[in-house]
Amino acid sequence: MRFWSQVREVARRDLLAEQRAGEVVSIVIPFGAVALMAFPLALGIDSAVISRVGPAVFWVVTLLFTMQIALRNSASDRPAHRAVLALLGVDPLARLLGRSLASAVLIGIFMAVLFPLMVLFYTPDLPRGWPAALIPAALSGIGLAEVATLAAELTAGLRTRSTLAPLIVAPLAIPLLIGASQAMESLAVGGSILPWVVLVTATDLALAVISALIARPLEEASL
Amino acid sequence: MKSPTWIRILQLTAAAALAFGLVAALRAPVDAFQGEYSRIMHVHVPSSWLAFLAFGVTALASVMWRVRRTRRWDRLAASSAELGVLFTALSLLTGSIWGGGVWGTYWDWADPRMATTALMFFIYLGYLALRRTTDDPQAAASRASLLGIIAVIQVPLVYFSVNLFRGLHQGQSIRPDGVTMPTEMLMAMLINLAALTIVYVALLASRVHLMGREEGREAEAVAGAGVVAPRLEVGDA
Repeated sequence: MRFWSQVREVARRDLLAEQRAGEVVSIVIPFGAVALMAFPLALGIDSAVISRVGPAVFWVVTLLFTMQIALRNSASDRPAHRAVLALLGVDPLARLLGRSLASAVLIGIFMAVLFPLMVLFYTPDLPRGWPAALIPAALSGIGLAEVATLAAELTAGLRTRSTLAPLIVAPLAIPLLIGASQAMESLAVGGSILPWVVLVTATDLALAVISALIARPLEEASL
Repeated sequence: MKSPTWIRILQLTAAAALAFGLVAALRAPVDAFQGEYSRIMHVHVPSSWLAFLAFGVTALASVMWRVRRTRRWDRLAASSAELGVLFTALSLLTGSIWGGGVWGTYWDWADPRMATTALMFFIYLGYLALRRTTDDPQAAASRASLLGIIAVIQVPLVYFSVNLFRGLHQGQSIRPDGVTMPTEMLMAMLINLAALTIVYVALLASRVHLMGREEGREAEAVAGAGVVAPRLEVGDA
């Protein structure tokens, strides 16, 4: 099987497993919505403040819940399963990219559900031409999937995985968070989103290169 | 069992260098605007540089562990990361105290250097946490070496953040095109840099040695004093 066919198969299998388990749709997305609602309750009734912080809260919630998506049970292979994939000759990079692709799709769904909810709960003053900010947002989603998958693989099989992986991801994902959130701010003041698209794209590419370089030793470490 | 003589000599040298650096910092002239707070810079700037050095050593030792698979490289990577976290914490603490006096705020989100340094601190806390998740040193080294290599990309981001983003932090005072501080202050800072570098080397040597002894004792406890623990790798230090 060729490399890209392997990537597609791994992503398809992950999405199929998620469709059956429903972990993201029935648990992570509702939990994310609750988190989105918790901020205004904590902030008080100052609607101007709530309106101002809406997009930022959306991105923080997305960053934190990305880990829930990457660490979902349906994407956690047991050692025996990993060994079988290795014996079958599945390229470690194809496995990593396939898993990242599946996570990126699920993060996209998460963002597509939570963004309208954020608009509903926070009524932010969206700038003219805000749909252009969807480009860095989508690119950020891809980057988040990459870094979260890397961390999930790095901590695979460890007792403290669910707490340790977010500690690794959050600092590394900051350029993505800055790029996505500042694009909207830039539009609000009539600026260009291009620098932020460049920042997020460069981060995505850097993460892709890192994935390519460490895929094989990562598989060896987690077997 | 005591530490080897050369480590004890290194520790004494470090203590003497630290005292000398303290005297140099106290005798250095103060900045006209910052006043006495400018003396904090003689600890803050070298601490930041040593944090970069320590994380660079961690990355290099991680690469070497992946190439050679000998315990000594893993011990070096782990020990240097611990010291990097220590120096980063010292840098954040001294920077915050200086900021409180000079900027009027202990923390400012508008300053990219502060924010990126704090993020670097947390990444290496994650590195140290990753090492503690398994009792098998080989497994810990295998995973940690990968994170040690990935995490070092934060170092240039922190260093160049003052050039890349606008913020409160001043730019580099020592640049290829010249130095923007008086010679007396520069000398005091370089003396403290040398002193803290000796402290780093002394602590690194002590920690690597201690880690080796800890591993030896654990192997002895598992196998019994009369039994030699099996060696899984060639060239173990």
